[in-house]
Amino acid sequence: MSHHHSSQTALGRAVNEFEETAIALILGLMTLITFINVVLRYGFNTGLIWGLEMTTFLFAWLVLFGMSYAVKVTAHLGVDAVINLFDLRIRRVLGLIAGALCIFYAFLLFKGAWDYWANFANLPQTDGRWFPLGFEEMKRTSYRSWYEVVDIPMPDWLRWIEPLINEGEAYEKIPRFIPYAMLPIGAGLLLFRFVQATWRVMTGEADSLIASHEAEDAVDDVRSLNAED
Amino acid sequence: MEVAILFAMVVGLMLLGVPIAVSLGLSSILFLLALSDTSLASVAQSFFQAMAGHYTLLAIPFFILASSFMSTGGVARRIIRFSIAIVGHFHGGLAIAGVFACMMFAALSGSSPATVVAIGSIVIAGMRQVGYSKDFAAGVIANAGTLGILIPPSIVMVVYASATDVSVGRMFLAGVIPGLLAGTMLMTTIYVIARLRNLPKGEWLGWGEVVASGMDAIWGLFLIVIILGGIYGGIFTPTEAAAVAAVYAFFIASFVYRDMGPLSRPEGERNLSLLEKPLALITAFFHRDTRDTLFEAGKLTVTLMFIIANALILKHVLTDEQIPQQIAGAMLAAGFGAVMFLVIVNVILLIGGQFMEPSGLIVIVAPLVFPIAIELGIDPIHLGIIMVVNMEIGMITPPVGLNLFVTSGVAGMPMMRVVRAALPFLAVLFVFLIMVTYIPWLSTYLPNSIMGPEIITK
Repeated sequence: MSHHHSSQTALGRAVNEFEETAIALILGLMTLITFINVVLRYGFNTGLIWGLEMTTFLFAWLVLFGMSYAVKVTAHLGVDAVINLFDLRIRRVLGLIAGALCIFYAFLLFKGAWDYWANFANLPQTDGRWFPLGFEEMKRTSYRSWYEVVDIPMPDWLRWIEPLINEGEAYEKIPRFIPYAMLPIGAGLLLFRFVQATWRVMTGEADSLIASHEAEDAVDDVRSLNAED
Repeated sequence: MEVAILFAMVVGLMLLGVPIAVSLGLSSILFLLALSDTSLASVAQSFFQAMAGHYTLLAIPFFILASSFMSTGGVARRIIRFSIAIVGHFHGGLAIAGVFACMMFAALSGSSPATVVAIGSIVIAGMRQVGYSKDFAAGVIANAGTLGILIPPSIVMVVYASATDVSVGRMFLAGVIPGLLAGTMLMTTIYVIARLRNLPKGEWLGWGEVVASGMDAIWGLFLIVIILGGIYGGIFTPTEAAAVAAVYAFFIASFVYRDMGPLSRPEGERNLSLLEKPLALITAFFHRDTRDTLFEAGKLTVTLMFIIANALILKHVLTDEQIPQQIAGAMLAAGFGAVMFLVIVNVILLIGGQFMEPSGLIVIVAPLVFPIAIELGIDPIHLGIIMVVNMEIGMITPPVGLNLFVTSGVAGMPMMRVVRAALPFLAVLFVFLIMVTYIPWLSTYLPNSIMGPEIITK
């Protein structure tokens, strides 16, 4: 039913399997938590208080984690009507320019993601408005690991982080640096995949970074049904 | 002035082949860094909040998932069989059945391309077998497929509701009459063409077939009852309704239709029943097919939300700079009335719809035109439906109409031929757009009579 990305190396296949399964798992969890909450409300007059917050965090994780995968399999939507007017050589040059812009974007997003996340994990933000020019000096207000989320209770199996980051004090709800961690991870992966994608254009393996519409795979599946005979 | 540069940059980057999402995001970030004191950290924060802070948008992944489970070939086939049983015996019957099937499938899925792929792949082949020209078949399906975003549930409507804080439930209800009307107009046109050209008609298969095929299709069609009934019965929020619909679709696909999951068998063999393999109740959750469907839906969610999240950053820029207010002021000062304003909205969206993915375009345009519409006394729900219908037409207008691409792929014919084939029906949809734009009653009657009059806060 679907076209799976195929990779030559065992590592590539393992990474791909991990990415696809993670995307499926996150969406599955979101759906189940929301569904169970509806059942609990009507069947048992109760509910998971943390269900909604957990689902919204998972939603953010899905997109932040998945956006780099979508770069890898060239699934991000774009307009190819203009670039298709040119011959392959110019198309490749345009592809390289587009790639450079994407790398720049991912880089800015990565810096922003780090800066936003760092203080929640007691780490220094970077200095500099556009480019990181080094790390800030940690002030008293830069230590924000004690910020907690609103609803999700701290599970016992995570207690081991308390002495490491919260001076041994117990968390009641999970600390914010955990859900926000996907920001720098996702943006970092995005940067990495855009560099890879641009490299693919440079070596001639691909000639653009975009898909022209969301149903490209599905259309390929059924194309044979009505092919010109 | 700066805003003109901003928009020029967005369009320029897009045409260069930069992904839509990155074009929106990069332009906005550069703009923010250069002209305001916003930091990159707060851009990252709003990126995170695009998902974590918008409860309404949470409905999108669930609707996509429900439609993915329902899009397994079996459901489309059952709907088509039911349509043929009902309308197949008219002149041009198979074409009319194709439109009818698109309407029903649109009620299971919130996306137009998905509708074209699911219905078109089967119906176009079927129509050619009984003697229709391929062009006629492709033209019908390309147009009927656009109903996917008008007939609820609709992802574009969820995005509009989220961008303008109107109720998703109202938007869904508002789409019902226009959706039925557009479908009827298309079917009538086909019937007239069929009488003029003497196109083939099928045989009346009897009430037995109607009932049998209806019973077979009802499991799938019940999904729309869950969604709309659940929302209007006050049982679920739209987001919950979408999640319940996704779980329902999973059970139907795995245990009733058995087109996927542990009970399905290859083409031609009889599928297992649950009694023969009760363990399937557990294994279905971990079956490869289930994982693949979740993954496909997840991937589509990611690409859509990546665009929406970046469009939200652009929206931030616009609201920070008070652009909507400026435009509103300029338009009101120029003395534009509601009629002229709606024409301008139509034109902007028709042009924008050529380049942009509909959801992303709505996120950007809705906040721009919404305050003006309120000022001019236009109903927000009515405005939403107008925008959706504009998106529909954008999907089948060259050069970059989304449905044209998909149809040309599905039908295996070149773009330009699809464009020509779609043209006569496109004219019908244009008439429909004018009707929807200037007869607000079409959109507002159902939501106002079922949910009470809209309360507009300025």
